[in-house]
Amino acid sequence: MLGALLYLRLTTLKNILLSRLRRLKQPKYFLGALAGIAYIYLMVYRQLSAGSTALAALPAGLPTGLAPTFNLTATLSVFGALVLLVIVLFTWALPKEKPGLPFTEAEVAFLFPAPISRRRLIHFRLLGAQIRILFSAVIFTLISRGWSFLGGGALTHVLGWWLILTTINLHLAGAALTINRHIDNGANPTNRRWLILAGVALLLLISTLSILNAAPPLPEGDFGPGDIADWLARCMDRGLLYWLLIPGKLVIAPFLAPNYPEFFRTVGPAALILIGHYCWVARQETSFEEASIAYAEKRGARLARQRDGTYRFGQDKAKARREPFRLSGPGRAELAFLWKNLLGTLPYFHARVWLGCAILTCIAVPWIVRSEHQVIGANIIITFTAIFSAYTLLLGPQLARQDLRSDLPHADILKTYPLAGWQIILGEILTPIAILTGLLWLNLLAQVLALAPMADKVPWLTPGFRLTASLCIGAVIPVLCALQLLIPNAAALLFPAWFQATRQRSGGIDAMGQRLIFVFGQLLVILISLFPAVLGAALVIFASQWLIGASAAVVLGTLVALSILGAEVACGLWWLGERFEKFDLATELRP
Amino acid sequence: MIEVSGLTKRYGAFTAVRDLSFTVQPGEVLGLVGPNGAGKTSTLRSLAGIIPANAGRIHIHGVDLAVDPVGAKRQLAFFPDEPRLFDYLTVRQHLNFVARIYGVADHATLAQPLLEELEIADKVDQLPGELSRGMKQKLAIACGLLHSPRVMFFDEPLTGLDPLGIRRMKDSILSRARAGAAIVLSSHLLHLLEEVCSHVLILKKGEKIAHGTLAEISAQFAHGETGVSLEEIFIRATGGSEN
Repeated sequence: MLGALLYLRLTTLKNILLSRLRRLKQPKYFLGALAGIAYIYLMVYRQLSAGSTALAALPAGLPTGLAPTFNLTATLSVFGALVLLVIVLFTWALPKEKPGLPFTEAEVAFLFPAPISRRRLIHFRLLGAQIRILFSAVIFTLISRGWSFLGGGALTHVLGWWLILTTINLHLAGAALTINRHIDNGANPTNRRWLILAGVALLLLISTLSILNAAPPLPEGDFGPGDIADWLARCMDRGLLYWLLIPGKLVIAPFLAPNYPEFFRTVGPAALILIGHYCWVARQETSFEEASIAYAEKRGARLARQRDGTYRFGQDKAKARREPFRLSGPGRAELAFLWKNLLGTLPYFHARVWLGCAILTCIAVPWIVRSEHQVIGANIIITFTAIFSAYTLLLGPQLARQDLRSDLPHADILKTYPLAGWQIILGEILTPIAILTGLLWLNLLAQVLALAPMADKVPWLTPGFRLTASLCIGAVIPVLCALQLLIPNAAALLFPAWFQATRQRSGGIDAMGQRLIFVFGQLLVILISLFPAVLGAALVIFASQWLIGASAAVVLGTLVALSILGAEVACGLWWLGERFEKFDLATELRP
Repeated sequence: MIEVSGLTKRYGAFTAVRDLSFTVQPGEVLGLVGPNGAGKTSTLRSLAGIIPANAGRIHIHGVDLAVDPVGAKRQLAFFPDEPRLFDYLTVRQHLNFVARIYGVADHATLAQPLLEELEIADKVDQLPGELSRGMKQKLAIACGLLHSPRVMFFDEPLTGLDPLGIRRMKDSILSRARAGAAIVLSSHLLHLLEEVCSHVLILKKGEKIAHGTLAEISAQFAHGETGVSLEEIFIRATGGSEN
C-alpha cells in the first residue's frame, strides 16, 4: 500500500511540476514566474542569508538593547500551548455532525471500493498528510528566517514544526474517529456539542477566576508590548490553565529549544505524546466512510468554485438573505447592482451593523481616552486605526471583489441590459466602495475621538479644526475608494486572460508572481492618479491658509482634490464603460 | 421586428459570420441551424448586443443597435443555453433586480402570473442552488419576460430540460410569438424547428446557405423528391459535414 501511495503522490507531484513548467511558455506565467522568483530571492533567501550572517557576527544571543527583559521562550511556550489547547477544544466542540477523515473525491472513488481495510485507509490518510506537513514545516521555517532569534538551528526548527503539525494532525484524526464512534453508538450530535461547549465554558470560568484571584502585578516603569505579553503569559500560567497547558508546552518544547542538547532533552516527551496519539488513532475501528464521502463532496464543490473564481470565504453554501434596502422598480439602475452585490456579501455589511459599530466607537473611544492612561490608550487607537486604514485602502480593493470581477462570468447577461457601459461599471463598483468607505469612516471616527487628549499639547488641533479636517477626509474617502476600485476592474477588462489566471486559486511561483504584478501595478497607478490631487490640494492650502485660516484652507484644498479625483473617476468610468461595451470574454480568452 | 443586413463578425483573422442579412417579422419564429462552428451563437450574441458586430446593421423593433444600444436592448431579451443566475439572489430577488434594471414599475403584479405560468410561484424565496436545472431555466425565462420584450433570442433553449420542460418551453415560445414577439432561436434539434419555427435560416461556416419557410427550404433541397425528411434536407443543405 505504501508503494501505491508513494506512486500516487510522486506522480501527482511530477505532473504538477511538468504542467507548471509547460505553462511558462505563456508570457503571463513566464513574467509571473520571474516576479515570483525575484520576490522569494529578496524576501526570503536574502533575508535568511543576512540573518545568518548577522547572527554569526554576534557573540551570543540578541544584541544589547534588543534582548528582552523577560524569558522569551517561556512566554512563547505559554502562548503556543494556549493555541494548541484552543485547537483541541475547537476540534471537539465544532463538529455539528459526523466529521469525516479528509479524503478527496478521487480517493473516495478509487480507494473506498478497493480491497483495503479500514485501518489501512486511516494509515493511507495519515501518510498522505505527511507530505503536506513536511512541506509546511520547511516553508514555516523559511518564512520565519530560521527563527534565529530563538537560537537552535534550522534543522531543530523544521523537526519542531514537524512534531507540532503531526501531533495536531493525529489529534484531528483521532477526534474525528472518536466523535464518529460516539454518534454511531447513539449519542445525539447536538447534545454532545452542547455538553462540550458547557465544559469549555466551565473551564474558562474556573481559569478566569483563578487568574483574577492571583494575577501577578502589572509591569512598571518603561515597559513595552513584550512585557505586556510576558505579564499575560504569567497570568495564564497558573491554576487550572497551568495543568491544561502542560501537554502543549511539551509538544512545543523541541521547537523552542535553543540548542541541540536541549532539543534532544525535550524531544522525548514530545515524541511520547505523538506516539500516544498514533496508538489512539491506529487502534480505532470506527466507520468513517459515510462522513468522509460527504466531506469529499463538499470539498470538491468548494475547489470547483475556487477554480472558477466564485468561492467566497465562509460561504460554502449560499443562504437567502434579507434585502439590504428596499428596491422599487423605477429609479437609478446602478443602485440595483449595489443591492444585488450587497446581497452577495457577508451579512455583517448591513446599515444596522455599521450604525452599531459607530455607536460603540463613540462610547468606547472616549471612555478609553478619559481613563488613567489616556495618552497610551489614544496612541494605541491612533496607531492601530492608521495601520488598519492604510491596509484597507491599499489591500481592500484586492479583497472586496463584489464588483465586475465577480460578475465577469455573467458579462453576457449584463451586456443585454439596457444600460450604458459606464452605468454598469459604476453600479458594479458601488458595493466595494460602500464597504471600504464604511470601514474607513469608522476608523476616521475612532481617530478623531482619540485625538481629543492631544488638543492640550497641540494648540492648532482645536475641536473646530478636528471636525473640519475629519469631514474633509470623510468626503474624499468614497472618491478615493472609487479610484482604487477602478484599477482592478480595469485590469479585469483589459487583461482578462491575466485576470482569469489570478482569480483562480492556482498555486505556484508564477501564480504568486502574477498576483504581485497586479498589486504593484495597482500601487503605481494609484500613486500617479493621486499625484495631481495631492499637489493641487497642497498648493491651495499652502497659498490660502495665510488669508482665510487653516480650516477654510483645508476645505478649499479638499474641494480642489475632490474635483481632480472626481474628474479622474468620471474619465475612468467613461473609458471603462466604452471598453465594457466592446468587451467579449469569449474572444479575449481564446487561446 | 428584427432587421439584419450585412452582419459580419470576426475574431482576429477568423470570420465567424459573413455578410448575413435577414428579417424576422412580429409573430415569426426563426430557427437558426447549422453544424458546429457555423456561427449560430456568434450571430445570436451580435443580435442581442452582447458582442459588437464588425460590419452590418441590426435594427431591433426599429432601433439601430449600433446607434442606440440602450434603446434597442429595452426591446429584447436573450436567453442563454445555460441559465446564468446570481448565486446569492432568491427567485423573487432576481425579478426585483431585473425590474430595476429595465425600469419595470409594479413588477410584483407582473411577476406573479409569470411565476405561476412557469410553475415556480412556490419557489420565490429559494436560491438558484436550491433549484433544479429546469427550475433555473424557468427563472431565467421569467427574468427575460418580465419587461415584456418584443424581440427574443433563445440559444439552444431545450438544453438540459426534461420532456415536460421541453413541451412547456415550446408552448411558451409559440405563445409569445402569437402575442406578436419576433423570435430567433438556435438549435441542433430539428424536431424543434418543425414544431416551433415558421422560418429557418441555415448557416455554414458563417454564411447563409438557405433562408425561408420550412416549405420553401424543403422545396429547395428536395430536388423534386417527395417525403424527404428534415434531417435529410439539413444534411443536403450543409453538405453533411462541418467543413
